[in-house]
Amino acid sequence: MNPSLKLALITLIALEVSFVQVWTVNVVLIVVSLLLMLINRVPWRRLLLLTIVPLFFASALVWSLMLRGDASTHFLIVIFTRMFVYVYMGGWFTLTTKPLWLTRSLEQNAKLPSKFAYGFLAAFNLMPKIQAEVSTVRAAALMRGEVLHVWSPRLYFKVILAAMNWSDQLAAAMTSHGFVEGAPRTHSLTVPLVARDWWLFGGSLVLAQVGLFIGLP
Amino acid sequence: MATVTVQSLTYTYPKQDQPVLNHLSGTFPAGKFSLLTGVSGGGKSTLLKLIAGLLPNADDAITFDGHPLSSVAPTQRAATVAMLFQEPSTQFTMDTVQNELRFALENQQVPVEQIAQRSATALAFVGISDLKFRKLMQLSGGEQQKVALAIIVAMNSDVILLDEPFASIDPPTRLVLLEKLVALCTDHGKTIVLADHDLSGYQQWVDHLAVLADGQLNLLSAAETQQRFAAFTPQRLRLSHVQLPTDQLTTCLHGTQLGLAHGDRQLLTPQDLSFYAHRTTLITGPNGSGKSTLFKALVRLGHYQGHIAYRDTDIKKLRKRHYARQVGLMFQSATAQFLNVTVAEELALSQKYGNSTYFTPERVQSLLRELNLDGRDDQVLYSLSSGQQKKLQLLCMLMMTPEVLLLDEPLKGLDYASIQTVMTILTTVQRELNLTLILISHQLSGLDGLVDLHLQLADQHLTYQGVSA
Repeated sequence: MNPSLKLALITLIALEVSFVQVWTVNVVLIVVSLLLMLINRVPWRRLLLLTIVPLFFASALVWSLMLRGDASTHFLIVIFTRMFVYVYMGGWFTLTTKPLWLTRSLEQNAKLPSKFAYGFLAAFNLMPKIQAEVSTVRAAALMRGEVLHVWSPRLYFKVILAAMNWSDQLAAAMTSHGFVEGAPRTHSLTVPLVARDWWLFGGSLVLAQVGLFIGLP
Repeated sequence: MATVTVQSLTYTYPKQDQPVLNHLSGTFPAGKFSLLTGVSGGGKSTLLKLIAGLLPNADDAITFDGHPLSSVAPTQRAATVAMLFQEPSTQFTMDTVQNELRFALENQQVPVEQIAQRSATALAFVGISDLKFRKLMQLSGGEQQKVALAIIVAMNSDVILLDEPFASIDPPTRLVLLEKLVALCTDHGKTIVLADHDLSGYQQWVDHLAVLADGQLNLLSAAETQQRFAAFTPQRLRLSHVQLPTDQLTTCLHGTQLGLAHGDRQLLTPQDLSFYAHRTTLITGPNGSGKSTLFKALVRLGHYQGHIAYRDTDIKKLRKRHYARQVGLMFQSATAQFLNVTVAEELALSQKYGNSTYFTPERVQSLLRELNLDGRDDQVLYSLSSGQQKKLQLLCMLMMTPEVLLLDEPLKGLDYASIQTVMTILTTVQRELNLTLILISHQLSGLDGLVDLHLQLADQHLTYQGVSA
């Protein structure tokens, strides 16, 4: 499916699900997302992680609501499954979409200004660099006798400073490889946006509406 | 072919009062290889960035064959001028070599059907066709510079600027890149400007020397250039009292079958290696051979093969917090060391946890005076010049007095007077506190009084040099 439509689809459904309380639809969405991930051969370890982490938070949330407050069982089930809907749909999207392909699609299909499209991609590519920077800052602090924890503001001050530096470097790198804001570009790879993508998009949305309509009390 | 003309260019960085370049004029001739030289911090990088259009320059003082860059169509600017950066890894936007080439050519609006062909030709020209599908961040610095050059070749830029491109590159790669640059110059008529503060190893390759001094640019003729090269003697390492380690020395750090690699390139073949306590050890070796990687491994910031032991205990078994106070690293980049905002705060941190019986506030004040850093208590660290940052960084790390202090290029970018002061302070403190220092330095003069042991990294192997005692 076309990456831009895929992104639009999960955003729309996630938005709807957060307003409407129908747990059956949530369960259907969870099953569909899980099936899609299985078809796309997402590794078992990832799936396990995607299940255990939200399980912990969802259980904690439901438990605390049960102890304090007068939420109905229906509401508790909705809250519990909603968490999994978000995580599984997000997992399906991120684990089956290549960032560069999404960037190209946003630029070509969604007509997003190339500055934003490539800015998004660059931010994605910065992730490993940020991790390395965090460990360097922590090591530098240890050598000075200071322990920086994940919640230490000083750690973030340094990393943000480094990130600002990288953003300048990145702007220079893009300019020196010919990138000009707002200038037309050619596309060596075209992201297809065919009738099938629209049918899948429309069909999924309609199905979700029907489900929500039937499920409403 | 394009002649680069600079006419009465003045440039001041935002929020600074002194201009870096002051009414600078000069010409870089078309189709020639010019070597831009001058002291570090003299404005070479700034000039190159201005020519490349990477820094805003409103008054069109720089022209290419008479046309300022602003008059060139946006998509054709990269075909006019392109730049290769000093830090190899910072010049890419995409993940793989192929995607970066596509990105650059798409920006130039190259028709889709030509992109593959032009990419392949450029990669073949630099001799790196096998890197096409590789991830950029997994390549070595040398390979990244080759890719950056291939992209410039693919973009077919008339003027090629290179800002100290060999600073972290091993000698064989440097040679390949220089050969390609000369071919681009002579066979394809490209104008090349390469900035480097060190003249060694350029004589046979360049046409002209362009000297940048005191904000002024002076292009030497071919004859003057040859004269300048003839008069230039590369720095020589003179160590008079260096000896091979003896049995009397105590081992502080010991590597067992210690090996280092960058990506899939082996930097150090596994070997046994000892560092000795209460001595100063100098490590030398070509750029990019793995000296900084060794330091990172010693402070547990990088991967290594084999084992490293500190006083007979594997460093992976020691508590991080404890070990970091025993073995400290003065990073090559000063800003990586700083944790605060102002000079006073940074010194206070070292005062709090460091050796305060030796480094009393009075002693620190007198050291600050010696280093010309006094009276800057409230100044923001990041607004200090790079030399001042380096000196403050050294003082902060010395005040911590770890058992073993690793110094990665402690003299980088310092002027002559500062080097003298820093060496005196280092020697005194080392003697009085009986510290263990291990240092990497490309700045070779003035080290004689300090260095006891000399380790040379060559052919992926570290060996102690010197006569036996």
